[in-house]
Amino acid sequence: MDLGHYAPLGAEALLTAVSLLVVLVGLFTKGRSSLPGYLSLAALIVAMWMVLTAQTGTVFFYDSLRVDGFSQFFKAVFILVSLLVVIASLTRYNGRPGGDEYFALLLMATVGMMVVASAIDLVSLFIGFELASLSTYAMAGFDRTKKNLEAAMKYFLYGAASSAFMLFGFSMLYGMTGSTRIADIAGASLAAFNPAILIALIFVVVGFAFKMALVPFHMWAPDTYEGAPALVSALLAAGSKKMGFAAAFRVILIALLALKLEWYMAFAILAAVTMTIGNLVACWQNNVRRILAYSSIAQAGYISIAFVVLGVASEGMTGPNNLPLDQYALAGGLLLVLGHAIMKTGAFISTAQVASIAKNTEDPDDISNYAGLGRRAPITAFCMTIFMFALAGIPPTAGYFGKFVVFGSAIYGGLVWLAVLAILNSALSLYYYLRIISYMYLREPAGPKISESKGYVLSLLLALIATFWIGVLPDGFFNWAMQAAAALLP
Amino acid sequence: MYADYAYLIVGLPVLAFILTIFFGWHLPRGGGFLTVLATFIGFIISAGIFLETFPEKVVHQSMHWFATLNVGILIDPLALVMLLMVTFVCTLIHTYALGYMNGDPGMARYFAEAGLFTAAMLGLVYSDNLLQLFIFWELVGLCSYLLIGFWYRKPSAASAAKKAFLTTRVGDVMFLAGIILLYNNMAKLGLPEGTYLLQFPVIYENLTKIDPTQLTLVSLLLLGGAAGKSGQFPLDIWLPDAMEGPTTVSAMIHAATMVTAGVYLVARMFPLFYAAPYGLLAVAYVGGFTALYAATMGLAAFDIKRVLAFSTVSQLGYMMLALGVGSVVGAAAVGVSMFHLIGHSFFKALLFLCAGSVIHAVATNDLREMGAVGRYMRWTAGTMAIGGLALAGFPGTTGFFSKDEILVTAWEYGAVTHDYLPYIFGIVGALLTAFYTFRMWFLTFTGEPRSDYHKHESPWIMVGPLVILALFALFFGMPAQEGFYETVGNNFAHYGVDFEELAPIGGHVVEHGGEHGEEAAVHEPFIIKILPILVGVGGILLALLFYSPWRKLDIRKFVGEKDLLRTILVKRYYQHEIFTAWFAETVVYGISLIANIFDIRIVDGVLNKISETTLGFANSIRRAQTGVIQNYITALVFGIVVLVIVIKLAMEVGL
Repeated sequence: MDLGHYAPLGAEALLTAVSLLVVLVGLFTKGRSSLPGYLSLAALIVAMWMVLTAQTGTVFFYDSLRVDGFSQFFKAVFILVSLLVVIASLTRYNGRPGGDEYFALLLMATVGMMVVASAIDLVSLFIGFELASLSTYAMAGFDRTKKNLEAAMKYFLYGAASSAFMLFGFSMLYGMTGSTRIADIAGASLAAFNPAILIALIFVVVGFAFKMALVPFHMWAPDTYEGAPALVSALLAAGSKKMGFAAAFRVILIALLALKLEWYMAFAILAAVTMTIGNLVACWQNNVRRILAYSSIAQAGYISIAFVVLGVASEGMTGPNNLPLDQYALAGGLLLVLGHAIMKTGAFISTAQVASIAKNTEDPDDISNYAGLGRRAPITAFCMTIFMFALAGIPPTAGYFGKFVVFGSAIYGGLVWLAVLAILNSALSLYYYLRIISYMYLREPAGPKISESKGYVLSLLLALIATFWIGVLPDGFFNWAMQAAAALLP
Repeated sequence: MYADYAYLIVGLPVLAFILTIFFGWHLPRGGGFLTVLATFIGFIISAGIFLETFPEKVVHQSMHWFATLNVGILIDPLALVMLLMVTFVCTLIHTYALGYMNGDPGMARYFAEAGLFTAAMLGLVYSDNLLQLFIFWELVGLCSYLLIGFWYRKPSAASAAKKAFLTTRVGDVMFLAGIILLYNNMAKLGLPEGTYLLQFPVIYENLTKIDPTQLTLVSLLLLGGAAGKSGQFPLDIWLPDAMEGPTTVSAMIHAATMVTAGVYLVARMFPLFYAAPYGLLAVAYVGGFTALYAATMGLAAFDIKRVLAFSTVSQLGYMMLALGVGSVVGAAAVGVSMFHLIGHSFFKALLFLCAGSVIHAVATNDLREMGAVGRYMRWTAGTMAIGGLALAGFPGTTGFFSKDEILVTAWEYGAVTHDYLPYIFGIVGALLTAFYTFRMWFLTFTGEPRSDYHKHESPWIMVGPLVILALFALFFGMPAQEGFYETVGNNFAHYGVDFEELAPIGGHVVEHGGEHGEEAAVHEPFIIKILPILVGVGGILLALLFYSPWRKLDIRKFVGEKDLLRTILVKRYYQHEIFTAWFAETVVYGISLIANIFDIRIVDGVLNKISETTLGFANSIRRAQTGVIQNYITALVFGIVVLVIVIKLAMEVGL
């Protein structure tokens, strides 16, 4: 067997091996060692390097996985999120009983997401999905508080339902085309299978909509993000949710492209409803993690605009500078995915920092705990402020650029109403982002100055740098996203 | 080799800013030495670049930013003289501030903001494109705002800061509009892929292809921006008020560096102004008028810093005038204007620092409470006299050469176009300049003490910079002038700008080709040649007659307290009454009130209704999220039903 052939999958192999190693280390040191955290950290850094330098364009395991620009883009996002979460977790979980399991699960979840990003076969895609989901179910209840368990339970029930929908949809696709390969499904004449194709389409869309938390399939997200340990919420909102997008891009945009006239309006409605409801409800929340949950639902709505534009984009339609419109829109979606992953991870890590010092222990994430944070924990408050601005899409941050490209692509695609709605939504979202900022800086401090935990601060600063880097020098990232989009599109 | 470190010229002051703002509180004198050091290293690098590139080379480093924009460093002679001047003068002023600000509780904040200002100003100077220049332009505006309002607990300082910020904002909006208009015009040209549309060399190269009407519009908008920053009429009202900041700030920002940014902008875009019909005409008139207008206000001011502020406005007017009359002499005008700019920054910084030294000791700004200060502050009095001589254009001093050249060029402009108005503005202004400068000097340093003040000289850390600046004010002009005109005047030759090709577009008469050929073409009479000397010396003598201890005439016999002219000057042409009290507080405020009623009743009313409805609606949606999983399933089923309907419809009728 030629091992060199499999080198592009080295990152997955490494992370799998290290996750097993972490469990072994935990077993022999009775979970008291601080090795697991640092091992995971090192493995993720190496994996990041492997992903970014991997040779693309190869297919593995009988056409079930492909390493291409698109998969590497998502893998980089997933690893980045895991990396930030691991750094933040070093103080919280490393060397504590059960810490080894935490890091092992985290690495497993990352591997699962990475498999989804590479999957070009429905079965391998589903397996990756389940690997990531099962690991995160366990993580959602990791601290075993009452809230944790409720969150984990809801997440599990919904995840199970979503898997059922998805799997049923996949099975129907298999029944109609006789293949589980995305390329084969894309090549089959699906329209001939009316009305069965309607059911298949609905089930696939609903299955993914669960994962992407599109309204009205979003209900699990706020409860879970609020109840799960804050750092796990970061992983869920920034990582595992993006896995839904990776899968949906592959399956809906490629396998079901022939049906685009059928699904584009469904996505237009989903996108419009999702961003509007997400932002509206966020205005009413007093729990910061719930605000962030709804904001991430709204962001999912923005990202979904990419589906709509791809649905309406016909051959020869162009965006600015004569770039192909479909590629431009998808690149915009990818940039939003990247930006949102970084900003959301940062924001959730900030909430973890605040919760650890909360006065109001009944609800450690209540917005009253953020009063005067600017003076209590200046670095956290500053980073949080920037993430809030970035999420609202204020330049020069990562959030602005992704929105700019996606909303622009909607206008170029003739979907002016959707772009206008999205921009109005962005304006509305400022309400609750600024509310958090005003609590942090304009209120009297809720307690004395505190020393900020080193792990949190480090990952916050990394996320902060990334947010600005993408915002100030967007060109390289834009080209990267364009390449990734080109790799996916036929 | 030095050019490779050009980025440090901005980088180090930024670093100093970060260090002082975070750690300045724990360092002696607010960590001010960091800012001094950073600026000084910037000076050394600039000097190194000067030695490397003089006289033929241009340093240009550029990095792709995004789309058709870049970030870059462009150091040509024009930028280089500014770099040298800014780093040099700022180093001295920061050093002086170590003494002047000593003991102020906000010292660390001062040096942080001063460091940021230095960085922004230097970045502005060597930007290689208009957008980057604009970003730094805004940044210096911000620093100016922060530093004018440095003593923010003082209401007058806070309101002066606001006034400065808002007035310059009027100009900045025009500047931005000009950039956008220029960009659109450049984008229409269909330049090859990868051309950075706002880069200066690219702009210079493509001027001939742009519609002249558009050029005029762009140049007028840019002039608006320059007028805001450089305090030209009618946007000059903020500059005298800006004297509320610490005197070092006045010296650094509102005399030597930031306010010259407007002139620098016009100089930088000179080919565009030249190619635009009426572009330079507007510059000449705005500049000439401001030069005279501000000088008259200097006659009646009693605040030592305000006298200097009016003179700054007036001198900036001369620089603009020098550029404006460039329509007859071409790019040589840039050399003349810039020479005045550089010289002015030396002696005006010197005058401000001397004033600061006086204020430091006497603890008042009011000339009527000073008198005889020279007896106790010999160094200050001596250096300030040198600064005054340079400002008045006394033969041999730095200010003499440039002012003389400006006036002669203005006369040539008159001779060619038969429009002598700019020249008259200039020559009368020069007389007044000499007069009010020495009025101020005599009132401050001679006579008898008119109040009880502290009688001591300032510490050496403050006097040192004064002496250095005085040497430059005295001796810089003579040896530097020829080479300076030559090098800076030829600045645009590096980009292959052909002024003879641009002249017909701008509607200028080309009577003479080649460098300095103009002197052969127009022979100015002897009287024109010596008139600048006569008015300069004459003004000083007049001041001597009226205000010195050896006075022969009593000013009160000529001008009564209640004279109309005097009242107008003291009231600064009722500018405050017109712009602030009437326009801002009555007209704008009145309109605001009406708009406010409209806003509250109609806009707000509607918005409130919308937001109430929105939040109410949101609240009812929120209630759907009960946490009970059965309700969630209901929503799910509902969602699926909707999806089925939509997709079914799409299949049947095609949405």
